[in-house]
Amino acid sequence: MDETRRSLLGGLAGAGALALVGDARHALAQDKAEAAPAGTIPNEAVKKEKAAAMQYHSERPLTGSVPAHEHDFDVTPSDRMFVRNNLLTPDVNAAQHRLAIKGLVDKELTFTLDQLRATFPVVTLQGMLECAGSGRTSFHPRPSGTPWNPTGGMGCPKWTGVRLADVLRAAGIKSSAAHVAGQGVDPGMVATAPAVIRSIPLAKALDENTLLAWEMNGAPLPRVHGYPLRLVVPGWVGSASTKWLATLTVLDAPFKGTYMTGSYVQPKWPIEPGQKMPPDTVSTEAWPVKSMITSPAPNARLKGTQRIVVRGRAWVGEGSIDRVEVSSDEGRTWQPASLAPAGDRFAWRTFTFEFQPQRFGYQTFLARAWDDRGNAQPVESTWNPLGYFWNGMHRVGVMVEA
Amino acid sequence: MKRELACAGLALAACWSAAHAQDPEKLTSGPGATLTAQKCQMCHELAHVTRSRLSRGEWVDNLQRMRERGAPLTDAEVETIVGYLAAYYGRDPAPAPAPDTLAATSDDPIAGLLAAKGCTACHDAAKKLVGPAFREVAQKYSGNAGAAARLAEKIRAGGSGAWGAVPMPPNPGVSAEDAKRLADWVLTQK
Repeated sequence: MDETRRSLLGGLAGAGALALVGDARHALAQDKAEAAPAGTIPNEAVKKEKAAAMQYHSERPLTGSVPAHEHDFDVTPSDRMFVRNNLLTPDVNAAQHRLAIKGLVDKELTFTLDQLRATFPVVTLQGMLECAGSGRTSFHPRPSGTPWNPTGGMGCPKWTGVRLADVLRAAGIKSSAAHVAGQGVDPGMVATAPAVIRSIPLAKALDENTLLAWEMNGAPLPRVHGYPLRLVVPGWVGSASTKWLATLTVLDAPFKGTYMTGSYVQPKWPIEPGQKMPPDTVSTEAWPVKSMITSPAPNARLKGTQRIVVRGRAWVGEGSIDRVEVSSDEGRTWQPASLAPAGDRFAWRTFTFEFQPQRFGYQTFLARAWDDRGNAQPVESTWNPLGYFWNGMHRVGVMVEA
Repeated sequence: MKRELACAGLALAACWSAAHAQDPEKLTSGPGATLTAQKCQMCHELAHVTRSRLSRGEWVDNLQRMRERGAPLTDAEVETIVGYLAAYYGRDPAPAPAPDTLAATSDDPIAGLLAAKGCTACHDAAKKLVGPAFREVAQKYSGNAGAAARLAEKIRAGGSGAWGAVPMPPNPGVSAEDAKRLADWVLTQK
């Protein structure tokens, strides 16, 4: 399958998507209030819906996140969910929006949002989404790509929608089916930009936690998070969770396009840091085990007479969290943190660790999560040219004062 | 008094460092800087470049990805841009700023406008690239009285249909005056 928009979208729909294409090349140099290209939402309007704690890493495309200490929540609030566009934020009319199921199915289907809601069981689950490049700035040397801060680029809100499996089965999956590609209606900045198309293996598409979602935390999806409909592929790199979803195509092999082969890949075998991508690559899929300390904040001033509660979140894209340990002596010794009961399959878990300071001065904490397969967070993750899958241990230092 | 002087000194120092701090939206001058800025800015702010330090191989990969994502670049342009980026935004210390000897030297104001506004990314004088050749446009509207005004409007607002499904993107950064100059010039390219 080749990589033009039209190959997936077909004649008229393709022209429609192309007609949304705008040119934002002067947006930054000029007055910020300047209108966004027709059919798109300006960044300023997106930012108004986000928390003041958001840190933006780029404008074109728009990317932003909150650091760990601004993310001390069991469920990520919508206004703190990370933003990672590849193209522009489309202004979609939900009433006119359609989802088409095509490719290797017995019967091609098209749904309105109301039809999806009325036809299939509606489920709500908490699920982790994390950009493949989350934590990229921790790699040395710094790889190419969005400079996510060490603990930004992920979030764990609640999603409401229908199971992708139910919708695919309604269309009838042919025996040759192997991958499912999602495509949104987000337009590029130049007319020549191909659509962002990502495909996931059929097994993950049929996982009961993989959703076609229209709500985040009980409210319609915010526009920058995929309104009115998106894929949610929890535990996997965020790019699998296509926003502004309009087309699902069932394929007999992974989709071949720049967003499958040119990015979201890593070397099959580790390479020397700073080198280019080797010919043998593998696709990024599930996140390895990871955790972060969400309280206290870095360099917090704390009273030495009080116990310090170290709190954080731990998650893994495959399997489950087995335990989290905290070190208060730079990794010489480790103590178990207490772990909140497991919730939904791909939700992060809150851990807490109480510490009684024995002296004044600077005090650090390191957190290390283990999964149920014996994998622990490393000190440094394996360097790769696009800076994916940083899961090194998170360290926070505070001042213990009289 | 002493204290005031010290404060004034600090303020001056702050001024000096602000004036000399690298503007993230400005590339270091060097051979290829103009072309690099022009091409990258079609889709990105220049901070994507100015915050990066990548090896030549990584820049080669980066340019290849941008091409796959629709950046209109010839092989020769890629070579110039990679050469510039690998030198000035590489993993080794950068050379001193130098004049951009590879910048278009034409002082023809129309050529300058065409390059600065990104027109030449999609249009050529004689042959069809992403969009129609200027010559084709001039021939199509030859003898059409309202053509200049309509073309000027279309340069700014964009549109599709006249030349197939690929739309002309809107160019809000082109002033009405420049759009008029460009339209008048295009129509003379028969």
